Amino acid sequence: MADYREAPLASRPKTLDPNEYFNVSLDQRRAEEDRAALRANLKRQYQMQLNNPHRKELIEDPALTRWVYARANPYSNFRPTFKTSLLGAFFGVVPLFVLYYLFKTDRDRKEEQIKAGTLNRKYSLLT
Amino acid sequence: MRTSQSVGQQQAVNMAGIGFRRWAQAVAKGKGPGISAILSGSRAASGTSKGSLPGPYPTTDKEREAAAKKYNIRLADYEPYPDNGEGFGDYPKLPDKSQHERDPWYQWDHPDLRRNWGEPMHWNFDMFIRNRVDTSPSPVDWPTMRKQLLGFIGFMLFMFYLGEIFPAYQPVAPKQYPFDNLYLEKGGDPEKQPEEVKNYKI
Repeated sequence: MADYREAPLASRPKTLDPNEYFNVSLDQRRAEEDRAALRANLKRQYQMQLNNPHRKELIEDPALTRWVYARANPYSNFRPTFKTSLLGAFFGVVPLFVLYYLFKTDRDRKEEQIKAGTLNRKYSLLT
Repeated sequence: MRTSQSVGQQQAVNMAGIGFRRWAQAVAKGKGPGISAILSGSRAASGTSKGSLPGPYPTTDKEREAAAKKYNIRLADYEPYPDNGEGFGDYPKLPDKSQHERDPWYQWDHPDLRRNWGEPMHWNFDMFIRNRVDTSPSPVDWPTMRKQLLGFIGFMLFMFYLGEIFPAYQPVAPKQYPFDNLYLEKGGDPEKQPEEVKNYKI
C-alpha cells in the first residue's frame, strides 16, 4: 500500500497522508488554530441566530449567497482569451455546422435510395 | 384642581397623541423592518451588505486581504482561481474534495451536506454532494484498478473474437427426409416420376 498513487477522483487516505505525521511545527499549529478560530466564530454566529427565541425568519447563509451569485454571474469576469474563444467556438459554432452537414448528407442519401427504390424498409418499432 | 375623571380623559387624549407622534417618529427613523425602511431611506446593516458578494480578481494585496476576510478564509489559505477570463473572479480555489470525505460523526450544522453554516463552498459544490461525485480514497490505486479492468475486458473480447473465427460445436447437417425429400407431401404431381434423391452413402 505504500505505493498508493492519487488520482483526480481518488484522494489519499488519511493514514497514508504525510501531513498527518510531519506537520507539527509551531507555524503549522498556529495555522490550525487560526482556522479553528474562524470556524468557531461562524459556529457561534449560527448558534446565536438559531437559538434566538425572537427569530421569526429563516437564517440566511452569506456563503451560500456568494456561491450562487458567483455561479450565476461568470460573464462579469469573462474575458475573451485564446482558450475561452476556442472553447466557445468548439461548443457553440462548430456543432452547428457539423450537425447540419451530417444530417443533410444522411437525409439526402436516404432520399436518393427512396427515389431509386433501393431502401430496405423493414417493419421495426425501434427505428 | 380638576376632577380625576376629566384628568383621566385628558391624559387619555394626550397619551393617544403622544403615542401617535412616537410611532410616526419611529417609522421615519427606520429602525424597524418593512415600510419604515422605505420611508426613511436607511436600513439596518444586518442584511446583505454591499461588499459581501464576489467581485473581480484581486490584484493588490489589500484586495486579497479583503477578499480573504469576506470569504472567511485565512489570508495564507486564500488562493483565487488563475485570472484567465473564465469567469471565476475572486472566488477562492478550495481543494477538490467531495463531501463523502468529510467526517460522518462530527456535528455539522447541515448534516446531509456535511457542511457548517458560513463555510466557503467549493465552486463545484453541487457536484461534490453525497449523491454525486465521490473522491474518497479507493482501496487500490486507480492505475492498478484500470489495468485490471481493461485487462479482463480485453482478454474476454479477444477470446470471443477467436471463438468467432474458430467455432467449436457439434457437427450438424440439414435434416434429411424420406420418399424423395417428401415429393408427394410437398405438393408434387403424383403422375410424374420424381427424380431419385439419395441422402446416404454406404
